[in-house]
Amino acid sequence: MSMPRCTIGDALPPLEIPLDRTLIVGAAIASQDFEDVHHDPGKARDRGTPDIFMSINTTNGLLDRYITDWSGPASRITRTSLRLGVPNFPGDTMTFTGEVTGLDGDAVTVRVHGSNARGVHVTAQVTVAPVDSAVSPEGAAR
Amino acid sequence: MDDPGQRFAAYVGREAEPPRVARYAVNEAMIRNWAEAHDDFNPVYVDRAAAKATGRPDVVCPPAMISTWVMAGYRRHREIHRLRAEGVTEDFAYSQLLSELDAAGFTSVVATDVEQDYHAELRPGDHVTCHFTIESISPIKQTALGRGCFITLLKRYLDQGDALLVEERFRLLRFDPTRKEGAA
Repeated sequence: MSMPRCTIGDALPPLEIPLDRTLIVGAAIASQDFEDVHHDPGKARDRGTPDIFMSINTTNGLLDRYITDWSGPASRITRTSLRLGVPNFPGDTMTFTGEVTGLDGDAVTVRVHGSNARGVHVTAQVTVAPVDSAVSPEGAAR
Repeated sequence: MDDPGQRFAAYVGREAEPPRVARYAVNEAMIRNWAEAHDDFNPVYVDRAAAKATGRPDVVCPPAMISTWVMAGYRRHREIHRLRAEGVTEDFAYSQLLSELDAAGFTSVVATDVEQDYHAELRPGDHVTCHFTIESISPIKQTALGRGCFITLLKRYLDQGDALLVEERFRLLRFDPTRKEGAA
């Protein structure tokens, strides 16, 4: 088992994820996030948004899924940096696209965009490496 | 006139709250619930044999799940919001800062950025403690959502032997939802 061979500029296969209310609420609760903006439409409106919206942790979790669907189980993500744009609301479909932007030894950095019909929901840089070569000095003690 | 931005700046560099110790060890049930909720079929989260086939000693925790282990839980979440509604401030810097933000009208919150460096994978049995520092607070500015300021929290997640698991920078916007510019 190993990671896919790639070169800079390679595109990852896109992934479309339909987002319904159950996904947004279920993922928030799976991460123990009880903030009302992720499950209560009335409170979300009081706080200035038209509906409940996806939590940043859920976006991050879906990014993990997108990357390792491509890089395989023998890889591990070593770094993620993401910035949110427009919210993901129930009824949206988010489409992930990714492009290899960096190679450093065995580690591959991918730039990912997750977009819905209103624009870019998330821009991220994710670095992934083979699991056997990905131990950092701090983690080596474990 | 009193400048709330200057008062907020006094919190920069302070420990946000006492170290947060996970309420339970990393465990397979919570990991499985998370993986299912994200429709993630990576077998190394749920299948020990598949994890071992990749050289890991056991199943591992999805990287983005790190913050879940130190969430306060439902009961404490309700308590924090009850205290906030009653105007009670707790005895740590982040609670005091949130009280000041509430008083300035910045009552709404949205997360904007997260950066995480994963130094090691978490396995069942690991016990996480997180140290929170208020790393920076921006000047008050007008945003698309309303007037507010950005707060960056530095979070360092350690295991039971104090080995660094994850270092995170989490940025959020605290804003006044009644002072939005234009339509949304």
